[in-house]
Amino acid sequence: MKKAIGRIYILIIMLFLYLPILTLIVLSFNEAKSMSVWTGFSLHWYAELFQSRLMMGAIVNTFSIAILAALIATIVGTMAVLGMSALKPRTENVLLGINNVPMLNADIVTGIALMLFFLMIGAPRGYMTVLFSHTVFCIPYVILSVRPRVNKNTNRLFEAALDLGASERYAFRKIVLPELWPGITSGFLLSFTMSVDDFIITYFTRGAGINTISTLIYSEVKIGIRPSLFALSTIIFVVALLVLIIVNIRQERANKHALA
Amino acid sequence: MSELIRLEGIVKRFDDTMVLNGIDLSVEENQFVTLLGPSGCGKTTTLRIIAGFETPDEGRVFFDGKDITNMPANERPVNTVFQNYALFPHMNVGENIAFSLRVKNKSEDEIRSRVKKALKLVNLKGFENRRIDQLSGGQQQRIAMARAIVNEPRVLLLDEPLGALDLKLRQEMEYELVRLKNELGITFIYITHDQEEALTMSDKVVVMNEGYIQQEGSPQEIYDEPVNAFVADFIGDSNIVPGQMVDERVVKIDGVEYPCIDGTEEGFPPRRRVDVVIRPEDIDIVPYGKGQWNGTIISKLFIGVHYEMLVQSEDGKVEWLLQNYDQHDVGEKIGMKVDPENIQIMHKPKSDAESAIEIDL
Ligand SMILES: Nc1ncnc2c1ncn2[C@@H]1O[C@H](COP(=O)(O)OP(=O)(O)OP(=O)(O)O)[C@@H](O)[C@H]1O
Ligand SMILES: [Mg+2]
Repeated sequence: MKKAIGRIYILIIMLFLYLPILTLIVLSFNEAKSMSVWTGFSLHWYAELFQSRLMMGAIVNTFSIAILAALIATIVGTMAVLGMSALKPRTENVLLGINNVPMLNADIVTGIALMLFFLMIGAPRGYMTVLFSHTVFCIPYVILSVRPRVNKNTNRLFEAALDLGASERYAFRKIVLPELWPGITSGFLLSFTMSVDDFIITYFTRGAGINTISTLIYSEVKIGIRPSLFALSTIIFVVALLVLIIVNIRQERANKHALA
Repeated sequence: MSELIRLEGIVKRFDDTMVLNGIDLSVEENQFVTLLGPSGCGKTTTLRIIAGFETPDEGRVFFDGKDITNMPANERPVNTVFQNYALFPHMNVGENIAFSLRVKNKSEDEIRSRVKKALKLVNLKGFENRRIDQLSGGQQQRIAMARAIVNEPRVLLLDEPLGALDLKLRQEMEYELVRLKNELGITFIYITHDQEEALTMSDKVVVMNEGYIQQEGSPQEIYDEPVNAFVADFIGDSNIVPGQMVDERVVKIDGVEYPCIDGTEEGFPPRRRVDVVIRPEDIDIVPYGKGQWNGTIISKLFIGVHYEMLVQSEDGKVEWLLQNYDQHDVGEKIGMKVDPENIQIMHKPKSDAESAIEIDL
């Protein structure tokens, strides 16, 4: 009895979480443009999606900005962590405190601030300003995820490597970097998702000519959403799901390996 | 034997606190030297200066007669076994040991055979492919040793390598370490705050406190002839009592005069106030009235092989600690005597660092 109630409870939660997405997926295959009536199966909207210059441009922008911003933020953030670890603990804590502020800040404040900054220095707004903004708001997250990997122990391992005759560069590459790696990859993935997810900051820092998926959807809402956007959302959802499954399977394998 | 390492007037400050106050130390080739002292006295700092991880503010470090004060750590012919082992967690045992050989670009064949040999030396044959987190504390300790010796350093620095092990394993490893040192024929500089460990393994013990070297010498010398109350107190249980020289080779303690073997020649002229050390096992129990002084047993504790007793001296203010194989009852009145050569006369402490550690109860 208890078990049955538990199962029903889980089922309801799953329905609430996934029914909207399911609706979206179903509608993306709908023949008509209607959002309520099923008229038949078709890949029509997918075709429209891939033929639309506007949409393909937005997709390319979104993902190229996400990858580049995550990459740059990861490199800059990791270097910042290494630099800060050499400071006195008090100075470092102050810097880490400052690092937390942008994360707590409302996106709209960050977005407007960046926009004003670009206006002030007279930078033409477009792809580069969005990329710059995304890099900027991702750096704190990278610092936050890499920082815990740099501790007394990392320093001891580094010294042990030097003690065994390694040059500083070799010791860093062979010993310190593998220690930081989990933090670096999670910082990168976090940055990537944050960037793909972002709407507000992009909205304020993009120029007239460029769109990402989120700003494109926003502008389409005003003139009426086309089901090709459902198709796009479906693709993004499936890709995210696949990535998640792969990551989980790999983790499971790693855990099993660790136990063996 | 020739001198291998020499520290000259090493001074080290962290921020504004003095950590080393002018350390002079000489280590001979093939010696087993132990730095012994309470927590925070500067042992690790001294070792890190020898290893090259810390630069002294003043003073010089010599290796084989050459000044290496500013030589970077990775060029020094010394290797370290760290207190927490510092094994590389993402490498297996074989890769850990091979690290210093890889750095030197040795051939794979040579690496394999030398790793094998090192593992055999530490009694862990066939452990090449184990992961670090699959090892017990004692095994990790041995791997840290193997990694440090595989490249045949001339000096091995060991920072409390047995600190994390339980008592039984620690005693086993003490033998292992001495065996290893003899097999390798290299110099060991060893840190511990365990006086027993220091006395059993070393050729030379260096007792440190508050950044000063208090005394150095063979374990026997340190134990039998401590130069001040700190050393006497740190090396095992002792009676440390105030006294005064009353004549050549006669000291007065607690109202009683005792013949001893120190006088003006040793720096203790008559009338000089001194501290006296008498080891608890050096006080013999004799029938009441037959000894040099008398007392009443006020407590008794059986600790394994012998009894430890606290004796209140008759019409005196001193409580004596005695160790004896024979059983005596609390309340029993006894006589006591001590041989002149077991009375160790010391100068009064000139500073806090030289006084015995006060333990508030
Ligand atoms: N990097 C550092 N910065 C500031 N103070 C330090 C540093 N390293 C050591 N000290 C201080 O120097 C003193 C001596 O430290 P050291 O590590 O040499 O002691 P130790 O004798 O090895 O003690 P233990 O037995 O506890 O390991 C301590 O008071 C410690 O706080
Ligand atoms: Mg230490």
